Amino acid sequence: MATIATTQIPQKRIGLVEHRDRAKRFFLLPAVVWVLAFSIFPLLYALYNSLFSFRFGRINEFVGLQNFGRLLTDANLHSGLRTTLIFVASTIVVQMILGFGLALLLNQEMRGRNVLRAIMILPLFATPVAIGYLGITIFYEQNGPLNVLLRALGIEPVPWLSNPFWALVAVILVDIWQWTPFVFLVSLAALQALPIDLYEAAEVDGASRFASFRYITLPLMTPTLFLILLLRLVEAFKVFDIPTSLTLGGPGRATEVYSLFTYRTAMRFFDHGYAAAQGFLLLVIVSVIVTLLFRRIGRLYDVES
Amino acid sequence: MRQAKPQSLVIALATVTVITACAVQPGQQPVAPAQPTPTPLGQEENVAQTVKAGELKPPVVAQPCGDNCPYKDQTVTVIVNAAGEKGPISGPLYEIREEFEQATGAKLNIVEVPFAEHFPKLLTDFTTGSGQYDISIAGAWWLGDLVGGDYILSYDQWYTDPRFPKWDIEDVQPGPRSLLEYGGKKYMVANDHDGQVMYYRRDLLEDPNHKAAFKEKYGYDLKVPETWKEFRDVAEYFNGKDLNGDGKPDNGLTMHLKVGGQGMFHFMSFAAPFVIGPENTKLFWFDPQTMKPLMDSPGHLRALETLVDLIQFGPEAMMGWSLGEAWDHFLRGEAALTFTWGDLGALAQQEGSKVKGKTGAALLPGTTEYYNLKTGQWVKVDGVNRVGNTTGGSWAGVISKFSKAPEAAYYLLALMASKPKSLIYAARGWDGVDPGRFSHYLPPAGTAKIEDYLAAGWDEKDIRDYTQAYFDNFSAKLQFPYLRIPGTFEYWTALDIHLSEAATKQKTPEEALKATVADFEAITDRLGREKQREIYVTSLGLDQ
Repeated sequence: MATIATTQIPQKRIGLVEHRDRAKRFFLLPAVVWVLAFSIFPLLYALYNSLFSFRFGRINEFVGLQNFGRLLTDANLHSGLRTTLIFVASTIVVQMILGFGLALLLNQEMRGRNVLRAIMILPLFATPVAIGYLGITIFYEQNGPLNVLLRALGIEPVPWLSNPFWALVAVILVDIWQWTPFVFLVSLAALQALPIDLYEAAEVDGASRFASFRYITLPLMTPTLFLILLLRLVEAFKVFDIPTSLTLGGPGRATEVYSLFTYRTAMRFFDHGYAAAQGFLLLVIVSVIVTLLFRRIGRLYDVES
Repeated sequence: MRQAKPQSLVIALATVTVITACAVQPGQQPVAPAQPTPTPLGQEENVAQTVKAGELKPPVVAQPCGDNCPYKDQTVTVIVNAAGEKGPISGPLYEIREEFEQATGAKLNIVEVPFAEHFPKLLTDFTTGSGQYDISIAGAWWLGDLVGGDYILSYDQWYTDPRFPKWDIEDVQPGPRSLLEYGGKKYMVANDHDGQVMYYRRDLLEDPNHKAAFKEKYGYDLKVPETWKEFRDVAEYFNGKDLNGDGKPDNGLTMHLKVGGQGMFHFMSFAAPFVIGPENTKLFWFDPQTMKPLMDSPGHLRALETLVDLIQFGPEAMMGWSLGEAWDHFLRGEAALTFTWGDLGALAQQEGSKVKGKTGAALLPGTTEYYNLKTGQWVKVDGVNRVGNTTGGSWAGVISKFSKAPEAAYYLLALMASKPKSLIYAARGWDGVDPGRFSHYLPPAGTAKIEDYLAAGWDEKDIRDYTQAYFDNFSAKLQFPYLRIPGTFEYWTALDIHLSEAATKQKTPEEALKATVADFEAITDRLGREKQREIYVTSLGLDQ
């Protein structure tokens, strides 16, 4: 009997476990379908497309890895990549410093702090395309508000949109204006979560404000800052709306960022195979950066823990 | 910690909404001729009569079908560049909707999409065969892709069919008429007729003081420029002078040279007489034997060098300008010369223009010699080598092969193309339809009456110059060879970008043209050299 009993109970348990497994699978199904439909399928479809040439918007012939080979020799693509790297480096550095700096500033007790915080995050609510078009008005060379202001200050007006260098500066400035508030917002949230007792202890020990910042704020904020950096890097590499609405990539190719180049390849020239290959290159670049940063963040958390 | 008050957020959101709403920039629709918004005038001496959009309407041509409607319960969906009910190209569709629906029993859907989205959406519809759109009001340069891909229907079978409204393709001048056909079949139903002409400030060129000063400086009489050299002199002379009495220095000319701002059309019209001539009427883009690009020839190079040299007489900002800003500059009276489409002449008559009654128009200037691509020699000509052009979109309807109501679709297009409607479209200006038919011109060139144009608010001198300029342009013996092969937009984008590089000194004209050639070669190789060659040769009407 005992033998019977020992065999019956496990069978019930096994049935229960199987039931639980089925339930788990059932609840996992939507996520699996989601990933398959919106990540894996597009990825495989893009990979498939990248192996073909297109004509009249339709698949023309199988070209193997030719589209990937073009990535190495296309000077226009390299120009887009170079512009993107300049854009990413410039915007990220300024946004991180400015956003974090403003967060530190507005984390202090001061009059009108809440109003200032609300004003600071205003650009985040606007659509990038709208901001790009707003930029056309702001940077309008003849009577735009910025040049009118410069003239009033006795400074020579700047050829914001007609000069290759200044056009890129204009695109960078608009992006900084829109996304610095993001760095500000997340940094501020993290700053407010820092344990106050550490600062009180430091103050008791006679630490200066700079020392508190150097030895408490910065180390505690580093993981957050890396996370912000990661998010901004990924977004900055994909920038499209602002240069497209503000300059359309010009003058010449001065502001033609990578995503705009890919967009043109796919949706203007209907060279979908090559555009897919370009997409994979960007995916590789961003994946490498994300992996390196994640490792760094992981190490930081390890050290903390 | 104190929390931000909800009121602050509400204020913030409201502010952003207002800012965003204000962010729409007049004249930033790069595309089908857009209507800029000139500065309101306080003390304008020349605003005698203006006709606002919608005031002048074309006559009703089609009779209601009553109980015997030929296309009852059918729906015709038109995709058109977004410009609104009173906007260029899309406007007349809204206007005609009721008449069309009453005459056919069919419903008319109008789908407006931004210019940049139009062709991609259309091609996606075609490649998937979904037949969402029955008609596209298309740009003429799309025909290489649309016919090549077998996506649109020829209307040859319906053109003489009495069931449809009558319109006369022979009424369209040969230049623009050639764009309606492809490979000997009719595809586009006449609507807009694009071509670039020169606009000049008549009041300045007729001013005795300027005449005397100009003659003293240049040694010949100030007149409407006939060559690009004279154009340069006039632009140079007026550059820096106050041309509209506001006390500020103005410019000799204005152009739109922003990447994506259709600057490449400027180069095409401009370069034509440097390359096209009596002994070479067709070769401009490619060698028809090899499909090798011809864009870096000495003729093209001289054209680009001359164009880049002209830029100094315009505002530096025009390197970042699309159509709207460039036109606005002229309409404010801030430039003496420009060369562009018919829309500008019509806009000069609208409320807010400072140049109504002062805007002369003429055939584009020419050259005294051209580079014969066939012989590789410069050829001097007797007089001036002037070349007409049909550069632009010549936006007109094509019918989808996947349409479920192709006859109703043709009915609509034929109705819009009927003579009485077309005349009003061409006269009004705001609807973006430019003249190109004999019935649009004043006698002796055509059959229109001056009263038709005066009723539309035109100044008499302006309209006489304007219609004559268009008649001369489309009647010119030599015509710029319009490119209509698969990938045309890609070729033109490459030209547009490299033109911008030359204009902004990122590249020398020679480097820019070499880069254009390299891009052209890559595009041709990708699309198939031999296939492209065959289509190119056919489009030029040459033997294979």
